[in-house]
Amino acid sequence: MRWLLYLHFSLWLALFAVFIWISAPIVGSAVVENRIGPAETNCSVDTYLRGLTGIEHGSEKLSEAFRDLGKEGRLIVFVRNENDQSEFLGMMIGYLSWPREVQIVKVPGETVDKELANIQPGAVAGVVFCSVNPPAWLQNRVRLGSSIVLVPVTQAAP
Amino acid sequence: MIVLGLIAALFTIFIAGFGITILVFARADRINVIECACLGWLFGCGTISLFLWVCGTFCSGLLLQAIVALGCLVFGILGWRAKRESKAKFDLPKPANVAEWILGGIIAIQIAILIFVSFKHTLGWDGLFNWELKARYAFQNGGTIPAAYYSSAGRAFSHPEYPLGIPFTELWLYLWMGEPNQFWVKIIFPLFYAACALLLAMFVSRLSGKRWLGLLTAALLPFVPSISASPGGTVVGYVDVPLSVFYLAALGYLLLWFRTDDSRFIIVFAACSALLPWIKSEGIILWAVLVLLGFVLGLVKRRLVQLVASIAPGLILIFAWRVYLRVVHLLPQSDFVRPSFSTLGNNLGRLGDIFAILFAELSQTFQWSIFWLIAAIGLIYLVASRKLERIALASAVVIPILLYSLTYVFSSWPSYTAHMTSSVPRLLLHVMPAGWLAIGLALSGAKREIQTL
Repeated sequence: MRWLLYLHFSLWLALFAVFIWISAPIVGSAVVENRIGPAETNCSVDTYLRGLTGIEHGSEKLSEAFRDLGKEGRLIVFVRNENDQSEFLGMMIGYLSWPREVQIVKVPGETVDKELANIQPGAVAGVVFCSVNPPAWLQNRVRLGSSIVLVPVTQAAP
Repeated sequence: MIVLGLIAALFTIFIAGFGITILVFARADRINVIECACLGWLFGCGTISLFLWVCGTFCSGLLLQAIVALGCLVFGILGWRAKRESKAKFDLPKPANVAEWILGGIIAIQIAILIFVSFKHTLGWDGLFNWELKARYAFQNGGTIPAAYYSSAGRAFSHPEYPLGIPFTELWLYLWMGEPNQFWVKIIFPLFYAACALLLAMFVSRLSGKRWLGLLTAALLPFVPSISASPGGTVVGYVDVPLSVFYLAALGYLLLWFRTDDSRFIIVFAACSALLPWIKSEGIILWAVLVLLGFVLGLVKRRLVQLVASIAPGLILIFAWRVYLRVVHLLPQSDFVRPSFSTLGNNLGRLGDIFAILFAELSQTFQWSIFWLIAAIGLIYLVASRKLERIALASAVVIPILLYSLTYVFSSWPSYTAHMTSSVPRLLLHVMPAGWLAIGLALSGAKREIQTL
């Protein structure tokens, strides 16, 4: 029954050869892509913010902007529904703004007139728009990179 | 200072884990250093995270760090004393021929490459928001997760209900480094990969009696793109790889216990399986599968008492976590509705779509190459052998996949297909190393004895 043994090992050898033939280019390109960046505290957050909004040291700048809003009041964050980039930025705002309470509101369109009208200013420190256009009448916008707009709420109230 | 802190954190994790492992294996004639290192890492992470969680309920800050570090040292000292009293010797298995040297060298290089690649990548979406976020908030709060986090509706996206095994291992690194450093924290994930590859090599070697086969299987492991090159893998800080390592370890030691009757193996099984629900919520399903398989194997071996005792730690941990979530007033949230027969009846029509998506995912070469085809052939070999141990191994690969798929019958997402498409690749990762174990044993043939690797 030696031929059975040969068949057995030939089968597995062929399977492993095809397996590596398909895998090697995929794994290889993942190994060579990217470079080691500086060993900074917020390197992941900063890389994402740089890629998505163009801000350098985004974690620091966003945290500072949220600190300037004072200690009280929550943040309302508008994100586009079914838009991964916008939702990711909204979560990033939630991540960085701790311990402030956040409320992430998903909106279907690019503008938020109706949703904004429902906000009660007293409990809100600021409104953040992630890949969402603030209404034209809203003044005192603080632009944080290309996709994030912060509006302190005292100015945000219509 | 940051790197010194990192080294101290990793050292204390290994000290605790080594101590526990040596306590278990002290009565053996020799202690395999590689096995000890792998289990040392797994037990160390489990111990540290559990210590931080429990001790964090009554202290915080430097006191918490000191108490946990002291606990680690105590385990280390106990292990060292147990070894000295038993006169067990450390043993580093050396490759026996050129092929083994080459394969061993390849594995070492692969581990080094994955450590390097991990530092090149950012933490992924879940790695950042589901896991690292908890570690960071706990660090900022002196080592405990603030109660307000659990009731923060705006941060429900970060799944506050997920367990703290990996976040608190990250927290331990943060406490020692003195800052929540997202660069250095990634070191823990390739270390889990290293434990996975080495344990896989060891299990295949011991269960097949062929060391070269174990080394070959481990050398093939990183060629599955989903573990080394895609979202959810080792380099992006998700917990799916660590979970798969605990599953592999628990399964491997269960099979070794069945083969040898050695009670030390059932102790390791008990510890590794208990930590499954502590790593990720889905770990409860994997734990339940292992309990079921263990029950069958224990029944055949007439060793049910040992088996029942080994289930207790897992049960206690699952219960304790549930109680904790109630105490902290976790806002009710879930991606799934409560299972009931009426929901099952209403959603039974989903099964066609669910299995179509599963099949599409299994045949997705960009994520898996032809791994699942090879695994399927391996499983056929195992079932055809008609040996209980091998059928149990095949079941340990197939049952979790089926159970995971069936959970989408109860998905509460507006689109259950979107829910499944987004999560099933990572769920399959949980059983992938077990799949390699099945392949290794299928390749080896049936008549084998235990080799002491």
